[in-house]
Amino acid sequence: MLWYKAWLETRGRFLACLITLTLFCFIFVHHAQEIAFRGDGPMRPGGLADYYRLLFVNQQFLVIMWVVSAVLLGMGGLVREKALGISTFTLSLPVSRTRLFGVRVTLGIFQAAALAILPWCAVFLASMSAGLPIRVSQVSFYVFLLLGGGLSYFAMAIFISSFVEGEYTAPAISFGVVLLTAIAFDAWLRPFSLWRLIAGDLSIDRRTYLLSPEFPWLGVSSSLAATLFMLLLALQRIRKRDF
Amino acid sequence: MTDSLAIHTSGLTKSYGQFLAVDSLNLAVPRNRITAFLGPNGAGKSTTIKMLLGMIQPTNGDAAVLGHAISNPTECSRLRERIAYVAEDKPLYGYMTVEQLIRFTSRFYPDWRADEARRLLIAYRLPVHKKVRSLSKGMRTKLALLLAFARRPDLLILDEPSEGLDPVGIEELLVELVSQAAAGVTVFFSSHQLAEVERVADHVCILNHGRLRLSAPIDDLRQSYRRIDFVFEAVPSARELIVPGIERIRSSGHQITVLTSRNADEVIRRARDLSAVSVEVSPVPLREIFLETVKETPGS
Repeated sequence: MLWYKAWLETRGRFLACLITLTLFCFIFVHHAQEIAFRGDGPMRPGGLADYYRLLFVNQQFLVIMWVVSAVLLGMGGLVREKALGISTFTLSLPVSRTRLFGVRVTLGIFQAAALAILPWCAVFLASMSAGLPIRVSQVSFYVFLLLGGGLSYFAMAIFISSFVEGEYTAPAISFGVVLLTAIAFDAWLRPFSLWRLIAGDLSIDRRTYLLSPEFPWLGVSSSLAATLFMLLLALQRIRKRDF
Repeated sequence: MTDSLAIHTSGLTKSYGQFLAVDSLNLAVPRNRITAFLGPNGAGKSTTIKMLLGMIQPTNGDAAVLGHAISNPTECSRLRERIAYVAEDKPLYGYMTVEQLIRFTSRFYPDWRADEARRLLIAYRLPVHKKVRSLSKGMRTKLALLLAFARRPDLLILDEPSEGLDPVGIEELLVELVSQAAAGVTVFFSSHQLAEVERVADHVCILNHGRLRLSAPIDDLRQSYRRIDFVFEAVPSARELIVPGIERIRSSGHQITVLTSRNADEVIRRARDLSAVSVEVSPVPLREIFLETVKETPGS
C-alpha cells in the first residue's frame, strides 16, 4: 500500500511530465522531419546525417525537460509531509523510515525511467510512420545516457528535499542547483560536463551524428556513484531526523 | 519494566539546545486503564508522545511501550502495529478519499476489523467518496478516530481527541473510550477538557515544564484532595495550620481556606485546637487540582 500512496502523491506530476515530454518528442520529430526532407526523403546525400542530427537535437531538448521533471519527481517525502503537518500519520504506521524512503525512491526511479523511455518510443513511432531508418541501438543509447547520467539530478532533488523543510523551498533550491551546475559545467568544467554527457554531446560523431559505439562508462559510473551517495546521505538524514 | 505497565519511561529527556522540552520524565502508565495525560500548552505532552512512538529521538533516558524498547527502531516499528495514535491536528492524507484512506490504513494491520470500520463509518456519517481535504475538522477527527478504533490496538494514544467535535461527537467519543478500555485496550490521552477527563479517566498524569508533577489514580485524588473552609473568631496565623500535604492556604477576614492533598484530618484537628467555630470540608474537582499543580510560583 505504500506504493499506492507514493503513486497517488506523484501521479499528477508524473503524468503531466510524461504527456508533455512524449507529445513534445513526437511532434518535434514528426514536424521537423517533414520540414527537413520535404518529400526528398533521408536517402538524398547527407539526408541520413540530417535525420540523426534531428534525433540528437531532440535529445538536447529532452534532457532539459527530463531534468526538470526528475527534480519535480524527487520532491515530497517525509520532510514535505512534516511541513504539511501529515508526517505524524505516516510515521505512526508500522513501517520503518527506510522502507518509506525506499518505496519513494524506487517509484521515482521507475517514473524517471518511463519519462526517458516513452518519449523515445514516441520518436521511434514518429520515425517509423515517416519511413525513417531509426535504429534501436541509437535510441537505447540516448535512453541509457539520460538515465545513467540524469538520475543524479533526481537524487539531488531527493537529497535536498530530505534536508529542506517548506513546501516550495525545496523545489526552489533544487532548480537553483540545477541552474548553477549547468553554468558551472559549461563555464569551468566542460570536459566533465554532466549536461554534455547526458545529451550525448561527448559521444556523438559530428559527421554522421550517430552516437559512437563506445558507451561512456566512466562518466555514467561516476554519475551513478554520486546518485547512490546522495541517496544514502538522504536516507541517513531521514532515519535520524525528528518529526 | 513490569508487565502491568503499558508505558514506562525512566529519565526520558528531550532538549532543543538550552530548552528542555521533557525533563527526566519517569512515567508509569498502567495497562487496561484510561490514563489522562494533562498539562498546559507547551508542557511537553506531544513531545513525550512522539518520543514514545519513535518520531523524536530522546536526548537522554529510555522508555518501554507494551514491553518494546523505543530506542530500538525494529522494535519500535513492531510496536506501532499494536498502537493506534491520533495526533493533535488529526493529520490525514488530503489527496485520498475517505474510502481510499480506510483501505490504505487497513492493509497495515492484520487485526483490522472491517465490520467495526463499517459500523463507525455509518455512526459518524462519513462521506466515503469525498476527498479527506474537503472534510470539516470534526469529520476529520471522526475519520482519524475510526482508523484508530478499527485496527484493534492494544494501546490507544490520543492527543486532544475531542478537539473539533461537537457535544454529541464528544459524548460518543467518551462512550467509545470507556468501551475500548472495557475490552482490554489501554487508553492514554491528552486533553484540556478536564470535565471530560474526570468522567472517563482512571489515572491522571500531570506534566508541567517537561516534568511530571503528579501521577495518581483519579479515585485517590478524589479521596485525598480536600478543600477546608474554617471560620475563626480570632483568626490565628496561617502558619499554625501548616502540615505536610497543604497545597494552598488563603486567609480572608475571619475565614481561612486550605487546599490539602493529604492529612486533611490533621489540619482539621489543629484548627479545632485553635478554636475554629466552623469547619466545612468539600471535595476538590480535578480542574482545581490541575490548576494548583501547574500554577507558577514566583521565580519559577
